[in-house]
Amino acid sequence: MSEYNRVVIPIGPQHPSLKEPGCFTVTLDGEKIVDVVVGIGYNHRGLEKACESRNYIQIIYLLERICGICSHTHTTAFCQGVEELAGISIPRRAAYIRVIVAEIERLHSHLLWLGVAAHEIGFDTMFMYAWRDREAVLDILAAVGGNRVNYGINTIGGVRRDIDDSLRQDILKMTDALQEQVKYYQELALTETTLAARLAGIGKLSGEDALKYGAVGPVIRASGIDFDIRAVDPYAVYAEIPFKVITDTHADVFGRTVVRILELLESIEIIRFCIKNMPDGDIVTKAPRRIPAGEVISRTEAPRGEDIHYIRSNGTERPDRVRVRAPSEANWHAMRHMLLGQYLADAPITIAAIDPCFSCTDRAIVINSGRETELMDWPRLRQYSIDWYKKRGIDVASIKIPERRMYF
Amino acid sequence: MQTEEAIIHKLAEKFSILKDKLYVQRSKRIISEFLTREEFEQVLPYLRDKMGFYRASHVVGTDEGEDLGFIYLLTNDEGIILALKEKAPKSDPKISSLSGDYPSLEFHERELVSLFGAEVEGLPAGPSYPLPDGWPEGNYPLRKEWNPEYFDQNTMTYNPPIDDKEKEGGKK
Repeated sequence: MSEYNRVVIPIGPQHPSLKEPGCFTVTLDGEKIVDVVVGIGYNHRGLEKACESRNYIQIIYLLERICGICSHTHTTAFCQGVEELAGISIPRRAAYIRVIVAEIERLHSHLLWLGVAAHEIGFDTMFMYAWRDREAVLDILAAVGGNRVNYGINTIGGVRRDIDDSLRQDILKMTDALQEQVKYYQELALTETTLAARLAGIGKLSGEDALKYGAVGPVIRASGIDFDIRAVDPYAVYAEIPFKVITDTHADVFGRTVVRILELLESIEIIRFCIKNMPDGDIVTKAPRRIPAGEVISRTEAPRGEDIHYIRSNGTERPDRVRVRAPSEANWHAMRHMLLGQYLADAPITIAAIDPCFSCTDRAIVINSGRETELMDWPRLRQYSIDWYKKRGIDVASIKIPERRMYF
Repeated sequence: MQTEEAIIHKLAEKFSILKDKLYVQRSKRIISEFLTREEFEQVLPYLRDKMGFYRASHVVGTDEGEDLGFIYLLTNDEGIILALKEKAPKSDPKISSLSGDYPSLEFHERELVSLFGAEVEGLPAGPSYPLPDGWPEGNYPLRKEWNPEYFDQNTMTYNPPIDDKEKEGGKK
């Protein structure tokens, strides 16, 4: 086709396949993608600068809000980095609790992805199944930390909340029920021909290219590379937990699906091991407010892959530099390569298959300083939103809602 | 499998400029002192091609007072991170793009341009990242002298007090 017949389509920035902002300017030759410009950065709000004017404890809460899905992994990376700078070791029980919460978070994240991916390919039954199962995981996270996201578990020197016997039993019950469901998804992924037909061969990324473009997490493992920080550079108590690094050799969206489903089963086993083997004792040790000068590179295996935190301290209560390289930020580099030569119709699932988190990529944060802290219940929150719109000239009460049409 | 100490020993043997400039921070972490652009570009190809550090996880920008710092996090198959540091004066903040050999650094190098005002020579053309369209030129938010309190989000202008203006805070 002549170059003049090519069509350029901007996919995004409003919600390209996911409910987050990013812009993919795609050039098409017929239905095939011949060029892509990946546009990200819509969520950048200056988190790193904000860290430089806050103390180490305040920063934990700031970093927890980088991402609503993998919040715990960011605070784990930050806290263990600061602990290394301060030269303190956390109690073993605290390390076990960090791992338990991290793996429950992985369950929540992978189930969320499974639902989104199913929705992208029109398999909404699976979307609803996966999200229904995720609710049970979120209930456990709420019981552990008091919140469905941003659980506030980590602090410098250990964790803020213990997991008592009753909660341990609840967690085990949840893993038992979830394991049955995940085995069903595993069978579905490996035997349902329509699923394989839709996902196989889409978003190809060879092992060599995955390394070249710096892919991480399930994306690189689905290209046959066994790169998992929990095994490569163990932190907390991962060195003493028996687990398999899941890999697959399909090197496409289908492979990424298989890896995530099998990782769900592996996370369940890790949680059971930790529940069974967690020692008694303290959950936090005293940490200094002033952190000795130094620099550290801390990393964890987030649900989406390697999460790196670079922290430089200067002997005061505030760091000199904090830099977060979240996993989604690493996975974008391979996106152009994965989309080239694909059909346009495959772009949404290819983008979704890296499980991108735009907030992680851009490390978003909004701080409303100078406002009083307020705890809102549901009716108060509802009223707040009505008032918010009223102030901007929109009276929700005046909007006429058409009569409901009945289809059956 | 090479130990961290063996890697340092081999590099110091090959490059005299690296003597006493590398240290093991802890297991799987080697950190260098800041190198000049010439020193950095002398060492990097050897690290990549002969020492197995063919993957780059990230480049961290830092403000070093009169200079800008660039900390490249290179990794090998054993999961060792070697943080190789380069610096360039703020008055002439030129570095070479490594995105040809390490495509995984492209977005991070764009960050160095937008947030620190680095001039990354050889960086392929592409959209700026991550600051929004209309961000005023010469404003580099991660330089220490740039104060967010003086930035007006509505007009997208940086308005420091007169004293600070005289010091040309945050501006080239």
